[in-house]
Amino acid sequence: MEPLISIQIQDIRPYFNPGDLIECDYQIDAIPANEIQAVEASVVWYTEGKGDEDMGVHYFERRVLSDDENDLRQWRRFTTTLPNSPLSFDGELIQVCWCVRVRAFLKQGKEYCFEHPFRLGNVESSRAVS
Amino acid sequence: MKAAKFARRFRLWEKKRGDRRTGSKLWATAGEALFFAALFLFGSVSLFAVLTGDAVAVDEGASWGWWIWLVLIVLASLVVVGGGGTVYTILMVGTTAERRRAFAKRATDIDLLAETLPSPKDFPNVPRDVNFRNSPGIKLSYRLPLTSSPSWRLLVIGVFSLIWNGMVSILIVIAIRKHLSIDIPPDWYLNTLIIPFAGIGIASLYLLARQLVLATAIGPTSLEISDHPIRPGQGYRVYLTQAGRLSVKSLALSLHCYEEATYRQGTDTRTERRRVHEQTIFIHEDFEIMPSKPYEYESDLKFPERIMHSFQSEHNAVQWRLVIRGEVDKWPTFERVFPLVVFPSATIPESSEQPAV
Repeated sequence: MEPLISIQIQDIRPYFNPGDLIECDYQIDAIPANEIQAVEASVVWYTEGKGDEDMGVHYFERRVLSDDENDLRQWRRFTTTLPNSPLSFDGELIQVCWCVRVRAFLKQGKEYCFEHPFRLGNVESSRAVS
Repeated sequence: MKAAKFARRFRLWEKKRGDRRTGSKLWATAGEALFFAALFLFGSVSLFAVLTGDAVAVDEGASWGWWIWLVLIVLASLVVVGGGGTVYTILMVGTTAERRRAFAKRATDIDLLAETLPSPKDFPNVPRDVNFRNSPGIKLSYRLPLTSSPSWRLLVIGVFSLIWNGMVSILIVIAIRKHLSIDIPPDWYLNTLIIPFAGIGIASLYLLARQLVLATAIGPTSLEISDHPIRPGQGYRVYLTQAGRLSVKSLALSLHCYEEATYRQGTDTRTERRRVHEQTIFIHEDFEIMPSKPYEYESDLKFPERIMHSFQSEHNAVQWRLVIRGEVDKWPTFERVFPLVVFPSATIPESSEQPAV
């Protein structure tokens, strides 16, 4: 059975500015609580395009089953202040993308991932000059 | 919202791009761990066998020969590489890219390390601009550094020309000796080989002479700017000086932005660069530059709003630069490139580095 991962960004808008506070909620459904071994939530940027992929992690949290937390499916909120750079960019060779990413690790060793993209900054896209 | 997708199609004849895999990640990790474990095992067993065998036994008072030390060093390095590789591979099992990056980021948050990073702490992946601000200008605040200095090109061509022509000279001497000798017949294979080699040598000498004259005739170019780093939407002053003895057809200063992407294809590493912004700041035509009176010009430079800032990651980059392009009488077109660092339009905090003037 595949888990259903939901991510919600509060006060979603066309783009966030550097220094804005981003508030995210995530939840995992459609799977028994004892099946999930760990959950990782992160706010990351990555590159797309012609070059090899680069990525950077701005925020990261990992939750594992413990005495304090015996159900990792539950709705959880985290907040982080967005950095000054790199800004989201849609270029000719390079795209810089931001997203909130949640990974769920199941007991059989399987891993499921879900992303919610957003834009940081309001940079114009570029096109090649002949 | 999107879920992560991974290509699983197996391609026989194509070169793979970057880190993308066509096989199972688990099997790849297992194979890597086995390889390092085998290396460790082979190194350990061989080292033990060498140390306990007769080969290393020496008479009292004598020392080991150099070859025993060589064998021991090679075997010990196998043990270290194999052991280290096995431990590292096992530690990386089940660790996501985000988790690894998060560990790395935590290390960079240490203030001592932050100073050694290529980007300022407050502006991740924006190149540091401290090298752009450590040279004060005569008229404006900073003198910008040149990227491709003509003297470096001159040095590279000079060294190549020297080595190549030295090699060709030796071949020519050998060929002449064979021709002059009565006992040895002429080596026609060598003679044939000398012709293209000498051609390359002459071409390199011509190129060297041309660069030498170009470097002396077209004098130094200097570009100063009123402030640095650059912020989108802001206005700046630039001041250009060009020395030499030149009859200039046209001299242009323009602002360029390049995107640069590096990718691996099989065992090759390729870099592709594309110009995505070009803005002419000024262009002057038909004038003379004399050694006693260098060309000077000060101009406004307005940066567009909403442009991408300078960006540098492992395989991708966005680079801004000011380019001077000159067409001069009797000489080939010359170009001087001055890189800039464009920061995001956010306010730069006061904690940012101060120029080392």
